[in-house]
Amino acid sequence: MNGSLFPPLATFGHGPQTIAIALATPLVFLLACASPRLRALRPGILALAPVPALAAAVLAADSGPLVLDQMLFPAVFVLDPPGALLLGVSALLWAAAGAYAIAFMRDETENAWFVACWLLTLLGNVGVFMAADVASFYLAFALVSLPAYGLIVERQREADEVGRLYISVALLGEAFLIIAFAALALGAPDHSLLISDGVGALAASPWRDATIGLLIAGFGAKIGVIPFHVWMPSSYRAASIPAAAVLSGAAVNAGIIGLIRFLPWDGAIAGWGNALVALGMFGAFYGVAIGLTQRNAKTILAYSSISQMGLVAATLGAGLLAGTAVAASGAALYAAHHGLAKGGLFLSIGVVMTRGSGRSAWPIPFVLLLALSLAGLPPTGGALAKLAIKEPLGDGVLGALSTLSAIATTLLMLHFLLRLRETRAACSEKYAREKFATGLIVPWLVVTAASVAVPAAYFWETAPDASALFDYRQFVEFLWPVIIGALLALISLRRIGRAPQAPEGDIAAFLPRAAKRIGAIGSYIEWTESVTRNWPVAAATLLAIATTLAGIGLLDR
Amino acid sequence: MLMASDGLATTSAGFLLPSIIMLPVGAMLLAFLLGGRRTVLTALIVTAVGIALAAAIAFVVWQEDRALVYVVGGWAPPLGVAFRADGFSAIMLVATALIVSATGWFALDSFGATKGAPETRPTFAFWTLLLSVWAALNGVFLGWDLFNLYVALEMLTFAAVPLVCLDGRTATLTAALRYLLFALLGSALYLLGATLLYGAYGALDIGLLSARVRPEPAAWVALAAMTAGLLAKTALFPLHLWLPPAHAGAPPPASAMLSALVVKASFFLVLRLWLNLAPSQMGEGIAQILAAMGAGAIIVGSVLALRQARLKLLIAYSTVAQLGYLFLVFPLAAGAHAWAGSAWVGGALQAVSHAFAKAAMFLSAGLITKALGHDRIAEFRGLGRIAAPAVVAFGLGGVSLMGLPPSGGFTAKWLLLTAAIESGQWAWALVMAVGGLFAAGYVYRVIAPALAPAQTPSPAPPTPVSSRGTALALALALFAVMLGFAPPELFGFLKVGAPLARHGSVE
Repeated sequence: MNGSLFPPLATFGHGPQTIAIALATPLVFLLACASPRLRALRPGILALAPVPALAAAVLAADSGPLVLDQMLFPAVFVLDPPGALLLGVSALLWAAAGAYAIAFMRDETENAWFVACWLLTLLGNVGVFMAADVASFYLAFALVSLPAYGLIVERQREADEVGRLYISVALLGEAFLIIAFAALALGAPDHSLLISDGVGALAASPWRDATIGLLIAGFGAKIGVIPFHVWMPSSYRAASIPAAAVLSGAAVNAGIIGLIRFLPWDGAIAGWGNALVALGMFGAFYGVAIGLTQRNAKTILAYSSISQMGLVAATLGAGLLAGTAVAASGAALYAAHHGLAKGGLFLSIGVVMTRGSGRSAWPIPFVLLLALSLAGLPPTGGALAKLAIKEPLGDGVLGALSTLSAIATTLLMLHFLLRLRETRAACSEKYAREKFATGLIVPWLVVTAASVAVPAAYFWETAPDASALFDYRQFVEFLWPVIIGALLALISLRRIGRAPQAPEGDIAAFLPRAAKRIGAIGSYIEWTESVTRNWPVAAATLLAIATTLAGIGLLDR
Repeated sequence: MLMASDGLATTSAGFLLPSIIMLPVGAMLLAFLLGGRRTVLTALIVTAVGIALAAAIAFVVWQEDRALVYVVGGWAPPLGVAFRADGFSAIMLVATALIVSATGWFALDSFGATKGAPETRPTFAFWTLLLSVWAALNGVFLGWDLFNLYVALEMLTFAAVPLVCLDGRTATLTAALRYLLFALLGSALYLLGATLLYGAYGALDIGLLSARVRPEPAAWVALAAMTAGLLAKTALFPLHLWLPPAHAGAPPPASAMLSALVVKASFFLVLRLWLNLAPSQMGEGIAQILAAMGAGAIIVGSVLALRQARLKLLIAYSTVAQLGYLFLVFPLAAGAHAWAGSAWVGGALQAVSHAFAKAAMFLSAGLITKALGHDRIAEFRGLGRIAAPAVVAFGLGGVSLMGLPPSGGFTAKWLLLTAAIESGQWAWALVMAVGGLFAAGYVYRVIAPALAPAQTPSPAPPTPVSSRGTALALALALFAVMLGFAPPELFGFLKVGAPLARHGSVE
């Protein structure tokens, strides 16, 4: 795979500058947002900030790194093909969701905190696809994870618990990653901070297994690998529709690019490869199973993300097992398509809400297209995404499971559509008089179109044999699971709709009790500390320390 | 190398060292003559000159790539007394001058004398104490003679304690008394040790002592006593009983100086003792104990910070925790190992970046308290709409404490973390990672409600806060963050004159 989204223009020699502008634009807008005088410009900022990143993805792939070496940790940014693909779709989604937000939530887009969190998350999201050194990557990853808190809690008055869960998992991921990155850099020649140097030396590193385990846990927390998926359902539900769209479609891919960049694709690592495959495949079905019991349209989409990301994780695990980078490029395309489709689906919730039952139902076929695209319905982009992960998953058990998961996804997506219809009925009154429909429909249609066009364009450029696109056997192979899923839905969805609802975030329901346990340890520590603050104890401790320090030396002789 | 003190002589530009100590002392004496508004003005002008002097010292250290030395009156030790500035001293001088100056400007709002108004006791006291704290800190960072250092330490204690109880309330008086008594215990132990060393080796000069000290009972007892005394003054867990009430009770600009700088001075001397003075084989067993106490401080301090109801106490406990990181330097920077250099630089950066971050956080806590009329975290909802810049300054300081890039805290913790992993001391690496999580937790406790919309309209309209104070808090926080963008030469600068070469050269 050596092409890019589009072939680099031969005359384009400004890669580093383009990368710099892509990174600087959200930052400049962020500073502008602090000025009250520029307050009026704020909404437009949301739609414009990602545009240079989109341009960079199209123009600057493979065209030289941006190196900032006058710092303690030299920063290196570069756009390789999977990075450019994911950056392109993410930037497109950010721009569309920004435009959508302007129409959908005028008040929030006037709020400086909301805009600041939006821009910081965007900055991290743009940076994470281009960062080529460990420190920049860590910075970008922290930015795409932590400020998103503001996007999740902003809309809800009672989002405290949702936000706390989100930030806890995000921080846990950061803690895993910082140790993994430190171990990675230590193994690299001359302690180089370049990711490629660290990964190159990983196979021979004494900390290889610990590092890979921490990387999988850290990035797994971002993409919702079981058991780190607990934050996803409630966060996507609590966030506003455009925020949920960028989180589920763009921010989540920070975890995918992390796995792609940091895992060694030439190692044939059995232990962690098997673990990732198992966790991923389990998540692929677990997400659907729990998702089917949910009522809220956004929660259902979140569970679909858990399922889809599980499939990507399994693909990457298979690549780790086989020691081949084909899995990485396949996973990138799959994740790119998932981002557009999932983002489009979130945006469609608002579109459908504003087209009440009395109005035309023309958006429904498009929603259906997006939904079944996730299941791989040919000739949507989803079929190409499935094609991309077909080779790494192979024809054996994993291939069969992948097909089964397409059936399951069809079922879940039709369940989502049913729930969406109910949402529409419930919301049409509230939004009937709103005039913002066009501002929602245009960005949504752009994303929907991209979900079809981008995988096709990418395949056209990169596939060794583009004739696979027109192979009818392929067509049938991807079509029948969708048909079976649809038939299953016809039979069972009514019954599933009456099934008891699993708590949102499923095993997250146990967390408050666990937190209470941990809190008990905290109060024990607090008690111990209060003892050490007593005068007699403190004075005795001081003497004991002096004696111990002296004693060590005296006895040591 | 400068270790053989026999040849200790004043280097070029060595006169800068006594100048930066005498400058605040002179200003303080002048203040007694001038009084009132002119004290404030003098102090502010002098801090500006002090920044220039500190910068000049750092520049010369960097240019000459060796420690700067000044021998008083040309009498080389043991007859005379020497001052010495290595890379770490120099950066501490710069940080001290900047932070003292910033807190001085910040204090104009609460301790500025207005024209025509009668001079108040706390006002005059604050400015003279500020100058003496600063002079004492410079003395500690430059001192190379154990008795001189004792004088500087005492001056520091006697200037810092009254800062705690400037408002004269019972609670702060109690806190100050606690601080004083415990610090005096520490002083007694330090003096005991210093006297023992003098008796055994006939020298007080650190350089001379480093050549003479042997691992024998007298040295062990002396160093143990001095270390324990210094730990009490640093408030290293479990000797921290005085810190939370003192740092939380002092007026915000005083808290900023106490938490950012004063506790670092005694840590700095522990480093001097075990890395500059004692032979390396003595330090190895001790290092693990110091690090274990540091780890305890990180865990216990953070957990307590997570459980405080008041913002200033939360920040004070966070100081208890962050001081712990400094003591992880001992097992990592000792010995002739490849990682010792990273650990040394990491420790120095942790001291500096925590100083800026913590000063910013205490100043923003002052602004928040002023705006709301209280510092109860449970009632912070909607704060982000009332005092947004103060919340941003607090958050940026928090970014550095958490060790998130691009802050100085990230660089520091990254260096310490890699040193811990490389040396196979995984336990310390784990403690650092957990400490980062806890730090995020207690910063989150403040930021999360601040970002949330106000639940009910606040009973009293918020008091407007000074824009100068806000700008200063933001500037300090940005400094902590921008340290991460420092040029790579900083690594080399911090290693100038560092006690690493003795253990084997690094790089």
